[in-house]
Amino acid sequence: MAEWRFLRLPGLARGEQSAPIVPERSVAGRTLVTLIAIMSFLSAMTLGGVVLVQKSALGWSADVGREVTIQLRPVDGAVMDSSLRTAVALAEATPGVASARALSLEETQDLLTPWLGAGVDLSALDVPRLVVVQLADPREADIDKLTSDLKAVEGASLDTHAAWRQQLNGMAGTIVASGLLVLMLIMVATVLAIVFATRGTMASNRSIVDVLHFIGASNSFIAGEFQGRFLTIGFRGGMLGGFAAIVFFIVVGFAVGAVMPQAAGQQLGVLFGRFALGLDGLLGLIAVVPVIAAVTAITSRITVRRFLQTTS
Amino acid sequence: MIEFLNVGLRYGQGPEILRDLDFRIEPGSFHFLTGPSGAGKTSLLKLLLLSLKPTRGKVMLFGKDTTQLDQDGLLQMRRHIGIVFQEFRLLDHLTTYENVALPLRVLGEQESSYRANVIELLEWVGLGERLNALPALLSGGEKQRAAIARAVIGRPDILLADEPTGNVDPDLSLRLIRLFAELNRMGTTIILATHELPLLDNFPFPRMVLNDGQVHIHG
Repeated sequence: MAEWRFLRLPGLARGEQSAPIVPERSVAGRTLVTLIAIMSFLSAMTLGGVVLVQKSALGWSADVGREVTIQLRPVDGAVMDSSLRTAVALAEATPGVASARALSLEETQDLLTPWLGAGVDLSALDVPRLVVVQLADPREADIDKLTSDLKAVEGASLDTHAAWRQQLNGMAGTIVASGLLVLMLIMVATVLAIVFATRGTMASNRSIVDVLHFIGASNSFIAGEFQGRFLTIGFRGGMLGGFAAIVFFIVVGFAVGAVMPQAAGQQLGVLFGRFALGLDGLLGLIAVVPVIAAVTAITSRITVRRFLQTTS
Repeated sequence: MIEFLNVGLRYGQGPEILRDLDFRIEPGSFHFLTGPSGAGKTSLLKLLLLSLKPTRGKVMLFGKDTTQLDQDGLLQMRRHIGIVFQEFRLLDHLTTYENVALPLRVLGEQESSYRANVIELLEWVGLGERLNALPALLSGGEKQRAAIARAVIGRPDILLADEPTGNVDPDLSLRLIRLFAELNRMGTTIILATHELPLLDNFPFPRMVLNDGQVHIHG
């Protein structure tokens, strides 16, 4: 028998890459991709919901914050029109106030229509009157001075809507916190699902792991081979779920505009925002994809390394 | 090169299946490891392959006490040892070429650096025409030659073989052992476990007989 001396013979020009050491089919592929896609969809939906609520609350709070209202109760001996003019003048003289306007009797009647019904003659009733004060900059407006000045007007009181805004912010904060908690739980469920899938994969590929150990493969090499597979799966699942969520938000945004009557749509928009995520929200949703892929890869790597430490 | 000092091995709380093993194997030697089924041949090979630690005593390899080695030390030591199994243990989804190249691939070597060597070795073991065949398409003899090629492609100092002729016919068994003998002639220390005693009569190599948990070297 001729001696084998590692002579450098010209190799066959196969021109193909070597097959992956961990066979694609042996990793619980399609099921895991579907599971991760669902988890990504739920994560993106939750994140989108949180972004929408927060944006609406911030917008709403800012709108309300730019306006204060002076209420003038009817007082015996005081002339309402005169009190209104005084209140408007005091408001306009206050630093940081852009404009002040007394609501007409008709406008006041319109405000009461939902409670009293249409066609009620208010001229016979002593109803409070309102002065709407628009602030140029809520931070610079001297509300304390206005409050103090209004003491000179009998029956006048100032409503800064602070309690309203506080309640709104509290409610929005609770929804955001709940959303983030749900997001965290989805992540934990995703991690657990990947851990179980990885353990199953490792158990079914035990023979490959043993052979790799026997031929001198390090644990980090073996973990890397499995991690590569799981990273691909995580990325695929994340892409599917993230893309589906983005499509969902776009479709629902259009649907709200198309299905609702214009006036109702506008009211809904004022109350709950425009159902538009905006660029930052969209970027947040896209970020779910690499995050899910990274979570999949890191979780599987840790699980594989633990498995290898117990078997090697 | 290999030295067992008062080595004992038990699984869990069971009885000692190997006990008081004291022997030395010189570099470049060829030993048959024989003994009845269940005598502990595979366990002894696992001790040599460092996939088991003795419950007592010392296993010295290349002058180092393997019981004191950490994970990385064991890995480095294991890379000096090749192993051939009775059931071949080729990866079914890889071609003959890819299976044989695997030990070099796990070391991070570039394919361009080892392609020619792998092909040359496969030609040397008679598988030059089966480079791209999957294990399912190989005969028992071809699988075992591929497994042997995989075990020696990294040029190990020690080659262990656990019943390598167990799944092939007598004629092929003879040819496979000649292949091991050829590798030994080129400097590799070989320990070949087998219970096919008539086969051993064709070769002059010493026998390590394992019986009742103890080993005796003859010849």
